[in-house]
Amino acid sequence: MRRTLRQVSCAAALALGGAGVAHAEWSRTYVVEWYEAAMYYGADEGVIDPGTDCPAGTNGEPDWTKVMLEAGYSAQETRWLLDPTHPFRPEGHSTSGQNQMAFRGKDRANVYSQPWLAPDPVLTGVSGSIGEGFDLDGDPDNGFTSPDGSMSGIDNQFYRTLGCWLTYRGPHRQSQHALSKNDEMREGAWTVAIVVSGEGDDPLNDDNVRIGFYNSEDALVKDGNGDIARDYTFVIAPDQRFEAIFDARTVNGVIETTRPADEVWLREASYVRELQLLEAQVRLEMKPDGTLSGHVGGYRPWFDIYKGWIDARGAVIEKLTWIELPGVYYALERNADFSPDGAGGEKTHISFAMRLDAAPAFVMTPGAAELATEVVSYKSIAPPPGKRHRAIPGPLGDRVVDGIVLTKDGVLLGGPEAEIPPPEAESQIASLRE
Amino acid sequence: MTMKFNRRSMLRGVLGGAAVGVGLPALDAFLNGNGTAWADGAKFADRFGTYFWGLGLTDTPAGGTRWVPKTIGSGYEITPELESIADLKNKVSVFSGFRVIGDGKPNVVHWSGHAAILSGVAPAKSNVMDGPSFDTRVADVLGATTRFKAVDLSASGDVSANYSTRTGHSFATPETTPLALYTRLFGEGFQDPNDPNWRPNPEIMLRQSILSVVSEQRRSLNASLGHADQVKLDQYFTSLREIENQLAIQLERPEACEACVIPDAPEDTGVGLTVDVVEQNCITMARLLAMGLACNQTNVFNMVHTPGFSTTYVRGETKTYHQTTHDEPTDAKLGYQPKSSELAGIVMRSFGAFLKQLDAIPEGDGTLLDHTLVMGFSDTGYAKIHSIENIPVFLAGGANGRHKAGQHIAGKGDAITRLSLTAQQLAGVSIGEFGQGAMKTSRPISEVMA
Amino acid sequence: MKVRVGAAATVALASLTAVACSLQAGQQASVAPDPPETALVSDPEAEVRYVDPGYAAFGDQHLTTVGVRRLTESQYRNTIADVFGPDITINARFEPERREDGLQAIGNVRLSVSTTGLEQYFSVARSIADQVMADERRERIIGCQPASVDDRACAESFIKSRGMHLFSRPLTDGEIDARLAIWSEGAQQKGDFHEGLKLALVSLLVDPEFLFRKEYAEADPADPDAHRMSGYTKAARLSFMLWDTAPDAELLEAAQSGAIHSSEGLAGQVDRLLASDRLEQGARAFFTDMLHFDKYETLTKDPGTYPKFSQAVADSSREETLRFLVDHLIAQDRDYRDIFTSRDTILNRSLAAVYQIPYPSTEDWARYTFPEDSDRSGVLTQVSFLSLFSHPASSSPTVRGVKLHEIFMCLPTPEPPADVDFSKVQALENGTVRERLDHMTNPGCNTCHAISDPAGLSLEHFDGLGQTRRLENGQPIDVSAKIGDLEFSGAPGLGQYLRGSPLVTSCIVRNVHYYGAGRPFDYKDAAYLAEKGEAFASGGYRMTELYRSILTDPDFYQVIIPDGAGPDDGDAQALSDKPATTGAGQ
Repeated sequence: MRRTLRQVSCAAALALGGAGVAHAEWSRTYVVEWYEAAMYYGADEGVIDPGTDCPAGTNGEPDWTKVMLEAGYSAQETRWLLDPTHPFRPEGHSTSGQNQMAFRGKDRANVYSQPWLAPDPVLTGVSGSIGEGFDLDGDPDNGFTSPDGSMSGIDNQFYRTLGCWLTYRGPHRQSQHALSKNDEMREGAWTVAIVVSGEGDDPLNDDNVRIGFYNSEDALVKDGNGDIARDYTFVIAPDQRFEAIFDARTVNGVIETTRPADEVWLREASYVRELQLLEAQVRLEMKPDGTLSGHVGGYRPWFDIYKGWIDARGAVIEKLTWIELPGVYYALERNADFSPDGAGGEKTHISFAMRLDAAPAFVMTPGAAELATEVVSYKSIAPPPGKRHRAIPGPLGDRVVDGIVLTKDGVLLGGPEAEIPPPEAESQIASLRE
Repeated sequence: MTMKFNRRSMLRGVLGGAAVGVGLPALDAFLNGNGTAWADGAKFADRFGTYFWGLGLTDTPAGGTRWVPKTIGSGYEITPELESIADLKNKVSVFSGFRVIGDGKPNVVHWSGHAAILSGVAPAKSNVMDGPSFDTRVADVLGATTRFKAVDLSASGDVSANYSTRTGHSFATPETTPLALYTRLFGEGFQDPNDPNWRPNPEIMLRQSILSVVSEQRRSLNASLGHADQVKLDQYFTSLREIENQLAIQLERPEACEACVIPDAPEDTGVGLTVDVVEQNCITMARLLAMGLACNQTNVFNMVHTPGFSTTYVRGETKTYHQTTHDEPTDAKLGYQPKSSELAGIVMRSFGAFLKQLDAIPEGDGTLLDHTLVMGFSDTGYAKIHSIENIPVFLAGGANGRHKAGQHIAGKGDAITRLSLTAQQLAGVSIGEFGQGAMKTSRPISEVMA
Repeated sequence: MKVRVGAAATVALASLTAVACSLQAGQQASVAPDPPETALVSDPEAEVRYVDPGYAAFGDQHLTTVGVRRLTESQYRNTIADVFGPDITINARFEPERREDGLQAIGNVRLSVSTTGLEQYFSVARSIADQVMADERRERIIGCQPASVDDRACAESFIKSRGMHLFSRPLTDGEIDARLAIWSEGAQQKGDFHEGLKLALVSLLVDPEFLFRKEYAEADPADPDAHRMSGYTKAARLSFMLWDTAPDAELLEAAQSGAIHSSEGLAGQVDRLLASDRLEQGARAFFTDMLHFDKYETLTKDPGTYPKFSQAVADSSREETLRFLVDHLIAQDRDYRDIFTSRDTILNRSLAAVYQIPYPSTEDWARYTFPEDSDRSGVLTQVSFLSLFSHPASSSPTVRGVKLHEIFMCLPTPEPPADVDFSKVQALENGTVRERLDHMTNPGCNTCHAISDPAGLSLEHFDGLGQTRRLENGQPIDVSAKIGDLEFSGAPGLGQYLRGSPLVTSCIVRNVHYYGAGRPFDYKDAAYLAEKGEAFASGGYRMTELYRSILTDPDFYQVIIPDGAGPDDGDAQALSDKPATTGAGQ
C-alpha cells in the first residue's frame, strides 16, 4: 500500500487498540495476483507467431501417428488408439489423451515414468538472445540480454529449454498455462501476501529493505472487471515451508536483493503449486499506481518440472499442449546448469525466473492482531506442514499413477500387454455412448 | 352492443387533424355471423401486448428529429432511430405528434406520459394512476380462454417496472428474468396442447376446492369495511377468480396448436442494467413469450424494456442513459444530442428484435405477429425536458387483418388517448370511447383500421 | 364450536393433545372445566404455552374493519417460521411494495394482491403445506397423532391452533367448518389424513385473513356508542411493530383475556417484547423500510468506475447499516442522534476493502472505529447511503441531499419541473460537481437545490460507491456547505447539523408512529407527535423509550372508522353481493 508506517500505525492504533512496536520506518503490503514463467515473447504480435525467440513460431503438434508407429504399434492399432472416441480412458477423463499413449517406450515401457526408455524426440528450444531473469552465476558473458539491453548474462535455462512450447509461449499474461493456472489462484486456491519494509526515510531509495512472501488462508477476491480487487485484507497464516524473506534495497522504487537467499519455497501458478528456489533473487518495482511488478528467480530442481507435467496426466498434457514429454525430460537434463553440491556435482537444478504481479492489499500479522509493518519470520509459530499440493488436486489426483489415470476402482485400463483394440472394447464403447 | 356515436363526436373528428373513425366498435364490423371467427376466415386467437421503453426518441425543439418520418401515410421513410424496424416496416405503423393533455395537472416526470396512455387520465402523482390501465380491459376480453389472462415482463430486471393495473395502485408483478418467464409459461401447470394423451389432472380439482373454500369464506366474518379497503379486497377476490378460471381451463382439453413447440429452458441470467444485457433478456423473453402465445398460454402481455427513470447504461459509459438525456448538450450543428440519439437507437434495437421474434413463428399463411397487435410507446417525447408532447407510439402486427399497418400518422397535437382507443378497438375490445377530460375521445385513427 | 373459558394456563403438550383431540366434531363445549388448550408453538424446543382459543369471542359481535394492510415479505417469512419452524423454506417472489409518505408501511396500506401475486402465494402455500406435512415434521407440528384417516378432532385442533396464529385471532366457526370440509374431502379422496390437512392448510395460507393484516374495532364496553380497537388487533400491532411477525401465544392470550386493554396489561406486553432478542428483527424491518433499502433490488454500479462493487459488497453494506443501527440503538440503547456522528461501525472484509482500511479480525464481522480524520461520520457516510443514492458511475450530491432530507428529516422534495433545461450543466469530465451544479441558475430549480445540494455537496469526499476521495478530475473537492445561516464543512459537519436538527428527531418519532399505525401523516396528529417528541427528548432520545412511549399510549390504538364502514352503513357495504370487479376500479 502507498502508506507510510506512521499513517498506517495511526489507523491501526485506532482500529486495533494499539499497534505493535515497529522497527521499520516504512512498509508496503501486497497480494500476489499473477505468476508466470518469464518467457520472453520475441514476436511483435499474436501469441504463437514466429519471433526472435522461436524463429519457426511456437512448436507444432507432434505427428502422433508417426510417434506410435515408431514406438512399434501397427497402423491399425495406431489408428484405433488415436481415435478419440475409443476407450482405455477411465471415467470422467474423456477430454483427450489416453493411458495407452504412455506405453510407447522400449518393450512398451511407460515413457512418462521412464522417459529414458524412449528415444529423445529433441525438443526445439529458444534460439534468441533476449531473455528475462537474473544473472545468477555472476558471469555477464553467459546468458541472455534483457529486453531493454541494460543487463546481460541472464541465466534462464528454463526459458531456453521450454520457451517455444505451446503452453508457455505467448505475450505477458497471455500464455495458455499462465491464464489457466493463475485463474485457479484467483478463484481462491491459494494466496501469497507480500510485506516490504525499510529503515530509511525514502521508501523508493533505501539500502535496508526486506521483502517477505507469506502464506495466507484468505482468498483473493475478483472485482467487477474480473481483476483482483485492491485493498482487501489478508492475514498471514504461518507456514513452515511457504515463507520467503529476502534482504534487499530499493533503487528508484525497484526492490533488488542485496544477497541471494540460499533456499526459499514459493508458490508457482502451475500444476505443482510449490517451487523450491536456490540462490534466489527478486527484482520488483513498486509502481506509482500502487501495484508491485517484476521478477523472482533462482535455480529450481529440473526433474520436479518434468514430474509435475507427468502427474498432471501425461497423455492429456501431450495432446493438449502439443508436446512429447520425454523430449521435455531430455531437454531439461541437457540444459540443467546448477548443482547444489558445487561445480563438480550433478546438475539437479536449472536457472529460472518468473514474472510476478501483486496488487495493493492490507496484510495483517497472524490472528489479525495488527498490520504487518515489518518483515519477520513466523515459522516458529507455524503448525506442522500439511499435505503437499498435488499436481491435480482432488480425487482425480489420487488416481494419477506414473502419469496415467486409474479407474475409480483402481484399475489400469491399457498397459504394456494390452490387446488393441481391447476385447471388451465393444461393450466399453457401448457404455460410453449411452 | 350499442354504437357510441353521435353527430358531435363525428364533427369534432372531421375538424380535427387526422381523419376520424366514427367510434364504431370493432367487433360488429368484422365478426362473421355467429361472432366466432373473423370474416376472412382466420381462426387464430387475437393477441395483444404493450411494449414500453423509457426516455422516448429524439425530436428536439431545434428541429433535429431523428425518428419522425417526413412522409405521411404508407411507405414512410426509415429515419435513423427507426432503423431497427426497417425490416418490418410494412407491419408497423408510426404515430407522431400525439400528446398528453393535462387539464391543469402537473407533468409528473417519467410518469404522466404512459400513465395517460394507459389509463386515459393525466395522473395527479407519481406511481399512481387515476384508473385502470386499458390492457386489463383487453385481457378481460382476450384472456378468458387462456391459462394466463396476461403475462407481464420486465427486461431490465426491475420488479417495479410494470404499469398494468386494475386499481391504479396495485400493479402486476412482472417476470424479471427469461428463466422466470419460462417457468411461468412452461413450468408447473403447463399442458402441452398437442399431447395426444391429455387427461384432466385431479390435482387441479383439489386446487379448485381450496380456492372455493376461501371465496366462500368471504362473508364469514361479521365485519363492516370501508370503501378503500373494500376495493383492495375486491381486487384480491378478482385475482382469486382469475386463478379459478385458469384452473377451470386447465381441466379442459386444450386445443391443438400447430405452431406450438415447447422451447428449451433458458439459462438463469442475472439482472443487469447494461443495455446489452437488457437487450439480450428482451430478445430471450420475446422468444419464450412468442411460444407462450403460440401455445395458447396467454393472449395478452405487457413488456417493459426499461422504465423512464431507469439506471440502464452502456457498458463502459460513465453516465446512465437517463442522465445523458438530461445533461448532454444539444449539438448546435446537428440540432440534437448525438449521444442520446445513439442510445435511443440502441434501445429501439430491442423493440425491433422483439417484434422479429413474434414474426418468426409461422401461423397459417402468416406469422404470429400478423395475429397480434403490439402497442409500443414511451414516457416522453424529448426526454431532455421531460416533454409529454410528441411521445413516440407504434402499432405493430396485423391484428388478424384489422390493422392497416405500415403507415405514418401525424397527430398534430391530438390527445394521445386516440391511440389507446385505436389499439383497443384493433385488439378486439368493444369500446367506443376512452379517456377523461380533455383526453376523452371517441375518435380512433381510422386510417390504420381495415 | 363455542368454547368459553376463564384464564389461560400453561400446561404440557401431552395433555393438550389429549384434551384437544377428545373434543368431537360439532360438539358444543359450553364451559370447559379445566383450561382448554390449543397449542401455539413457535419453537418446538421451547416451553409450550397454550391459549384459550376463545372462539366465541370472535366473530360473535359486530366488528368494524379499520385497516387492511398487506403482509410484507419479511412479516410473511417470519410468521411462517414462527408457526411452522424456521426450517420451512419459502422460495417465492413477493410483489413489490409501494412507498408513500416516506414509508412502505404506509404505501402498503393501499396494496392489494394481483393475480400474479396470488398465484405466487398459492404456489408457496402448497410448498409450505408439503413441508409441514412431510414425515419428519408433521407429528411435531400437528400436535396430535391421527387415530384414523377421518380423525376429525385431530384435524380440528390443528386447524384451530395454527389458524389462530396465522390469522392473529381465533377462527370463526364458519372458517373452521370450511377447513374441516376440505380436509375431509381430501383425506377421503386420497385415503390420507395428512393429504387432507394439506388442503386445509393451503386454504388458510391463501386466505385474505392471513395475507392481509386486517385491523378490527369493536364496541367499547365502557361506552356503547364508541369503538375500541380489538385486543387481537392491538396484539398484532405490537408484534408486527416490535418483532415483525404475528403475535405469539402470550400476546394472543393477553388479547383473549382482555388484559391487553388495561394499561398495566399493555405495558407488561410492551416491556416483554422490548426486552426480547426478537426486537432486533422488528428494528431491522423498520429501518429497512425507512432507509429505502428496497432500492438494493436494483442497485448496480459501473465496473469500469467502481471495480470493487459486487453483489457481496452491496449485501454487506446493507447488513453493515442494519447491524450498526441495531447495535447502537437497541443493544447499546444509545442516543438516536448519535447515528449521524458516530465513527463506530460493524463491518466485514469486503466493506473494509471499500473503506480502504485493514480488516481487523478473522471473524466474519467486526467492530471498527474510523479514525478521527477519516471524514466518516455516522450512517450517512456508510456505503449503504452513499452508494444507494448515487448514479452507477458517479456520485450525486442532489440525490443524496434530497434523500437525506426525505429519509431523516421527513422533508420530501417536489418532483423537478418537467421543462428543466440541463444544457448549462457541463460534462462530467470537467471540474468538480459543485462547479457544474453552480450553473443551475434556473430559479425553478434553485428553490429546491438550495436545500438539497449543500447537504449533498458536503458528502462529496465520498464517491458513488462510498470510497474516500479528495479530488475530482484532479481538482480538490470543496465540501463546505451553507444551509440557511448555518455553515459547516464535510460529512462530520453535516452529521453535527443533523444531530442538532429538531426535524431529525421529530421525523423518527413520526416514522415510528406511522410505521406502526399504517396510515399517512395527518396534521391532526401534530400535537400528539409533538408530545411524543418531547418524551423522546426527555428520555435521552432512546429508540426503546420511543417505542415504549408510543406503544403504551392509548392514542396509538385510536380507532378511525373509514369511509363507508360506519356502524350503520357498514353491514350493507360488507355484505352486499355486488360483483367484486366493479370495486376493482373497472
